[in-house]
Amino acid sequence: MTQSLWKIAAMVRVMALDLWRDRGALLMTFLLPPLVFLIFSSVFAGTTGDNIQLKLAVADTARTTDSGRLAAALVRSHEVRAEAAPTADEVRRRVKSGQADAGLVIRADPASADKPFLIIADPSRAVAAPLAQARVQQVLASALPDVTLRRTITQLEPALGGFTDEQIENADSAAALMRDDPSGDDGGFFEREAVKDAKVGGGVIAYYAGAVMILFALFSAMQGALGLVDEQSTGVADRLLAGTAGMGPVVSGKFLFLVGQGLIQALLIFATAQVVYGVAVIQHAMLWLPTTLAASACAAGVALGLVSMCRTRDQAQMLSTFVILVLAAIGGSMVPRFLMPPWLQTAGWFTPHAWTIEAYQAILWRDAGISGVYKAWCVLTIVGLFGLVVAHVLARRLRR
Amino acid sequence: MTAKSDSRDSTVAAPVLTVNGAVHAYGGKPALRGVDLVLRPGEIYALLGPNGAGKTTLIRAICGRIRPDEGVVLVKGRDPSRVAGARSGLGLVPQEIALYPNLTVAENIQTFAALADVPRAGVETAVRRALELTRTVDRAHVPIKHLSGGYKRRANIAAAIVHEPSLLILDEPTVGVDIDAREGLDAVIRGLRDLGVAVLMTTHDLDQAGALADRVGFLREGQLVLEGEPRALITEAFGEQMEILVQLAEEIDTAGEIRLAAEGLERTRRSTVWTRLDIDGYAAAGRLDKRLRKAGLTPREIRVREPSLANLFTLVADRKLAA
Repeated sequence: MTQSLWKIAAMVRVMALDLWRDRGALLMTFLLPPLVFLIFSSVFAGTTGDNIQLKLAVADTARTTDSGRLAAALVRSHEVRAEAAPTADEVRRRVKSGQADAGLVIRADPASADKPFLIIADPSRAVAAPLAQARVQQVLASALPDVTLRRTITQLEPALGGFTDEQIENADSAAALMRDDPSGDDGGFFEREAVKDAKVGGGVIAYYAGAVMILFALFSAMQGALGLVDEQSTGVADRLLAGTAGMGPVVSGKFLFLVGQGLIQALLIFATAQVVYGVAVIQHAMLWLPTTLAASACAAGVALGLVSMCRTRDQAQMLSTFVILVLAAIGGSMVPRFLMPPWLQTAGWFTPHAWTIEAYQAILWRDAGISGVYKAWCVLTIVGLFGLVVAHVLARRLRR
Repeated sequence: MTAKSDSRDSTVAAPVLTVNGAVHAYGGKPALRGVDLVLRPGEIYALLGPNGAGKTTLIRAICGRIRPDEGVVLVKGRDPSRVAGARSGLGLVPQEIALYPNLTVAENIQTFAALADVPRAGVETAVRRALELTRTVDRAHVPIKHLSGGYKRRANIAAAIVHEPSLLILDEPTVGVDIDAREGLDAVIRGLRDLGVAVLMTTHDLDQAGALADRVGFLREGQLVLEGEPRALITEAFGEQMEILVQLAEEIDTAGEIRLAAEGLERTRRSTVWTRLDIDGYAAAGRLDKRLRKAGLTPREIRVREPSLANLFTLVADRKLAA
């Protein structure tokens, strides 16, 4: 038993020295993950908040007083980056060329009963049209409430069979009052309440910390596991199979090393998350550690199992690239899972990424206890151990 | 104590390796067809043969990687394919540099010592011994990837002898090694032989085999067709004949080739070098020189030398010599 551990420790040392002396690989392994995490979290932290500043090209072809007021209000608004365009065609051109995310043509007086606004958007930016619509309505309600009132009156008039002169006068004075002092109330149905208002933006940060952790754990594990193929091509496997050790200690040593490597990578990523974004990692360390160990074991086992199935380095490299990219895409390491169609979200449960991301989010964002993560721990650990067993079995078959 | 006296002693010592009637086939295609081989302590045995002759299969059987369909393979009396302990006395030096390139020589040897069950307390001594025996002490702390070809080869051997095996198998130990480095390697292998290690090597380097091996065996189509001491085999095959080598100044046409063939010469692997065996040696070479000049085939050089294992190998491979 002691001798077996001694052999495994010898192989862990080989892997550690090998990585330590390959400075390029060392940087890739430990510097890249926190860096990519910072980039991802910077990009995606904004997508769920209110701070997306849409670039809107605005053409006022109606040229009424109110349409001019709306165009000016949009340009002044901090909710949207509006730029005036001379014609509707110019708006279309800017949207098509990507100079603007969406376009607005004010083609009739905003208070008229028709559809005075035309939104122009590129179908490839699906979110741009509804977002532009919402921003225009927001600005309309806050800066031009009198227009909204007059439009409502215009729409009601046919249904009520006309207004009396006195009513019209009252409405005009109310509109004038609103015009002089806009209350800022959008007059809509909705009021918003932020869940856990103390952690604004933290959900996405926790999401991407987990997403980048499992992405790099698997990526680095695949690179480390490639050593198994090298050991066959350089004759190390022949040397060991001719002795008493066989390839068992090599596989086990690599597994332990890769788990340790995943743990250090996770430490660096989550330390960055805590320092830069204030994600409460240390406060959840007792659950974070088993989650990280399970995710690292899963990555190490999957990598060793897959590489063991390959005969050449080229094969292994191709397979690992395929697996890393596809699992990351389906599992939610690239694009948040909540943006995916339901069937893809379901398919995500067949990847370690989804389980890992879910477990980290449960711990760090939803303050879940063991009951919220034990299933993920079990799945990740079982998959990892299965991969390890496959690697051991295939290594034994090398003897022949 | 000399190498020769060790070698003589080895003839009475118990065999380290016994292969008896080994037969093996891959998918019905025979690879070994009744091979017998006995190797005793302090003996260097060179296994020769063309590609596909069965050398690799025989080595795999000795290493316990395959179990022969018929016959017996025993290392120190135990079957290496069934008893893991039988393999503890075996060291394999693969043809490739089977080491970790980013690790130093010493770190590599330490790793393989641990994997070969060398007790922790004895690792340092064992590593030191392996470094000394392979003359790599001065490069102990240099990463493998920074070593010259010769040092890499010797480090490759060091990792295979750290657990003091009684049988050392070297697979093509001199591939890609220059002459100086080869002499260094030969010295290391002789040193191990003198310590009583039985050495089995496969090689295409017939000069090395002739100079180093106490016995050679020719494997052809899975059968050991010729075996014995190199000098004795050469004498038996060629008697008093000498080899005459004719090197021509330039490439020749078909008529020239016909003329050379009429003189009993055969083309070697180099198209301008032709060879033949002749009992008259130097006198025959003189007469041949005159005739060739007269025919307009002026040789750049004519050499006369004793036949070597290379000549014997050609005879065996071309089936010109009865087994």
